[in-house]
Amino acid sequence: MQTHQYDVVIVGAGGAGMRAALEASTRARTAVITKLYPTRSHTGAAQGGMCAALANVEEDNWEWHTFDTVKGGDYLVDQDAAEIMAKEAIDAVLDLEKMGLPFNRTPEGKIDQRRFGGHTRNHGDAPVRRACYAADRTGHMILQTLYQNCVKQDVEFYNEFYVLDLLVDHDLAATHVPDGEEVHASGVVAYDLATGEIHVFQAKAVILATGGAGKIFKTTSNAHTLTGDGIALAYRRGIPLEDMEFFQFHPTGLAGLGILLSEAARGEGGILRNSEGERFMERYAPTIKDLAPRDIVARSMANEVREGRGAGPHKDYVLLDLTHLEPAVIDAKLPDITEFARTYLGVEPYTEPVPVYPTAHYMMGGVPTNVEGEVLRNATDVIRGLYAAGECACVSVHGSNRLGTNSLLDINVFGKRSGRAAAAYAATADFVELPDDPAGPVVAELEAIRTRPDGERVADIRAELQQTMDTNAQVFRTQESLEQALEDIKALQKRYRAVAVQDRSRSFNTDLLEAVELGFLLDVAETVVVGAINRKESRGGHFREDFPKRDDAGYMRHTLAYRRPLPTDGHRLWSNDSDGDHEGEFAHTTVFDGYRLVLGSKPVTVTRYQPMERKY
Amino acid sequence: MTATAQAPSQIGEVPTFEVRLKVRRYLPPEPAQPLPYGAPAPQAEAYWEEFTVRVHGTDRVLDALHKVKWEQDGSLTFRRSCAHGVCGSDAMRINGRNRLACKTLLKDLDPTKPITIEPIKGLSVLKDLVVDMEPFFASYREIMPFLVTSGNEPTRERLQSPEQRARYDDTTKCILCACCTSSCPVFWNDGQYFGPAAIVNAHRFIFDSRDSGAAQRLEILNDKEGVWRCRTTFNCTEACPRGIEVTKAIAEVKRAMITRAY
Amino acid sequence: MTTIAEPRSRATRKTSRTNAEMIGWIFMRASGVLLVVLIFGHLITNLITNGGVHAIDFGFVAGKWAAPLWRVWDLLMLWLAMIHGTNGVRTIVNDYAEKTSTRLVLKSILVLAAVVVVVLGTLVIFTFDPCPPGAPADLLPSFCKA
Repeated sequence: MQTHQYDVVIVGAGGAGMRAALEASTRARTAVITKLYPTRSHTGAAQGGMCAALANVEEDNWEWHTFDTVKGGDYLVDQDAAEIMAKEAIDAVLDLEKMGLPFNRTPEGKIDQRRFGGHTRNHGDAPVRRACYAADRTGHMILQTLYQNCVKQDVEFYNEFYVLDLLVDHDLAATHVPDGEEVHASGVVAYDLATGEIHVFQAKAVILATGGAGKIFKTTSNAHTLTGDGIALAYRRGIPLEDMEFFQFHPTGLAGLGILLSEAARGEGGILRNSEGERFMERYAPTIKDLAPRDIVARSMANEVREGRGAGPHKDYVLLDLTHLEPAVIDAKLPDITEFARTYLGVEPYTEPVPVYPTAHYMMGGVPTNVEGEVLRNATDVIRGLYAAGECACVSVHGSNRLGTNSLLDINVFGKRSGRAAAAYAATADFVELPDDPAGPVVAELEAIRTRPDGERVADIRAELQQTMDTNAQVFRTQESLEQALEDIKALQKRYRAVAVQDRSRSFNTDLLEAVELGFLLDVAETVVVGAINRKESRGGHFREDFPKRDDAGYMRHTLAYRRPLPTDGHRLWSNDSDGDHEGEFAHTTVFDGYRLVLGSKPVTVTRYQPMERKY
Repeated sequence: MTATAQAPSQIGEVPTFEVRLKVRRYLPPEPAQPLPYGAPAPQAEAYWEEFTVRVHGTDRVLDALHKVKWEQDGSLTFRRSCAHGVCGSDAMRINGRNRLACKTLLKDLDPTKPITIEPIKGLSVLKDLVVDMEPFFASYREIMPFLVTSGNEPTRERLQSPEQRARYDDTTKCILCACCTSSCPVFWNDGQYFGPAAIVNAHRFIFDSRDSGAAQRLEILNDKEGVWRCRTTFNCTEACPRGIEVTKAIAEVKRAMITRAY
Repeated sequence: MTTIAEPRSRATRKTSRTNAEMIGWIFMRASGVLLVVLIFGHLITNLITNGGVHAIDFGFVAGKWAAPLWRVWDLLMLWLAMIHGTNGVRTIVNDYAEKTSTRLVLKSILVLAAVVVVVLGTLVIFTFDPCPPGAPADLLPSFCKA
């Protein structure tokens, strides 16, 4: 075992992690720990663009952008955070340009902008050109540019190190910690994939930037490595997870494969059609049609298929029609996604429509933070020295449904803020003492899996988890389907205790790490499903067929999911009872094997925009 | 776990068929003490192992490898992440050609013969299909792969015309998968050559109108292990999964050096 | 507490900081073009014009070298071809020899061979005299006036 000391340790080297690293590394001794090489992160798969009210091509302002974000998120957005994001978006884009990002240009040489779903002028009048882009590989260019600048600043990376534990001085999931008592992060425990060695990183500040958890679903645009590591680690330490029931399904995944085709395809004029050739989005969103927010388009597509208007031999997908666009336009602005269609489906987008169907894409929820990226341990108190940014965090700027391009914005704006805040905190704070045997639990868990002679296979449990999530907790959800999913997850968790691997070596044991990642997936899935069961309304990415209306009276608040110990003294299992935490009004408790999941809530910050009916 | 593992037959009827995979295996001997990263591992023999899996018509080589790993032999080790050709993790030598496993459809390969899968060449093999990428990234870092500017920063964006932007568009596509560098016979020999990927990334900045570090980069690549070791075999261009005209980019860098010198 | 190597250890690559490789590269292309002209010129005069291949004998060569043009021509051909070829073999050695020592040995032999050929050839071209004074008459060609 090795021990390292850094002022700031950043977990994850995607967009948020590297943006934070660029800020933190100039101010404090910083290490970035990443389970992949930085340029492999899934930020690179983002395609369409990054919105900012630059007004380079038409009139625009950040206030309209804020409104679109709030409305797009079905009013569950914290409006102070959305304002900050829309305002700082402009600098975020200009920062990237100055770092060298090759944006597409207007004839005058300024950054070009294009339309994107849900982004409108003057509070919903008409689509606006707001997304700054680099062909259809904006995310790739952002990831490359950030890595390039990390090289320039000589940022220290620990590549292919898996962070397997988050160290805090009070384990909230194991013991009762009264409100007001300070809780500090003290570091992380990491596993070096190449050697199998354990490294303990002691740090004054830890930034979680581990990305999403799309692999809880079967059909997903997410990478194999997006297993919710940071989210699950926080959750296991009793840190709440916010709004986990909201998962975004991207309308245009390649049918059957889930590979993403950017919304930019529709931004550039692509049209969704059903088997009858009808432009069905005219019925669901008469004003902005195909450029409605993703939750609406995904639901409309699923509905077309359900009502028998799907295309194909099994009538189970719809068609994305680009054939009316000039091949030259397609080549210049959408080269990669047309290549995906050719490579993976053998469809020529110049002449044929592309089969598409919604695919699990983005987790709106995550580790709750304030606008400085500080992680909250309940509705009000922060954990000192712990920060989160990017998809694993929930600021919440996305509310119940993220607008296209706002994730690239999120990672840049809040990555930067958390990097600065963490470095500033580290400048004044001291190291917090590590627990006695910091790596003990991780080593014990790894060794148990690695040496277990025989047992459940990782792939089986994972496939069943993904299947039940796809079947029961996808675009359409009901009480019944969600309870089925919960039951399945509990059964899988039981089986997971007996999980075994075939590879027993220490060097590059990816078999072992897949088993660990499966544990993270199961934890994340549990919070998604329990949150969805509790939220008896339909809002944004969460659609309950048994409660198809939004219910502001009952649910205009964020969900916080806490892992808490089972009461030992015969206390009620319910609610926030003796905890005394601000675990809130939902007071919904689910008992799992060895712990309970308590749902609390957190109020939504409303500044300018009162909730209205969401029509497009 | 992939969406395609049991791909519903959505694009017409997806046929299933059997493929044989002949995979180059290498298990490093287990040292008593963990070795530091990159330290020379004690030698063990590499060998070929054959697997037979049932796959769908839309499956890629990566899906077949996953099937092996998840259903037959969990110790088979390879890198992968995004599974659709944008992250660059799963470069490997498939039927003697460098490709991304997630972009190579099984139906495009000859099903009558076993598909051979080896690690990419020229970088030391650490386990099965996993190679040491550190020398590759070291070369990349050496060519100053970042925008170098002089003068005061403008308050808004730096201006660049669409034509100037188009000048280096091709080389911005690079995902650093190492398909090109590890297909280069010059690189195979001693690994001192900077390699196509590093040159491609230098090209991306040398021809960026906003950049003023071209002279330094050209100086670095003028080295005896630089662009002049390119023998224009075009292996790199053929290997690039992103369709970058790598050899052309290298030629443009050479030309820039000559024009600079005379 | 043990330590691990810096996570970004640099490759140890020696830098030359000269234009040698570039000059070599340009030379190969320029000499290649020139050699095409020189060699074809040589072949045409020797094998096609002036009576063709059957006319070649000692006298023919001696006659050619009586004109300074052909001496310069052949000298150029010798030097360019030798340097071009040597440099070409050098790059092949660089590409294929795996050990530094092998490389050194092969390149030494190569350079030695090239120098010997170039020096000998140059000497011949500059010192050639068909009728060296004082040579036994029976060794001299017929056109030498005694």
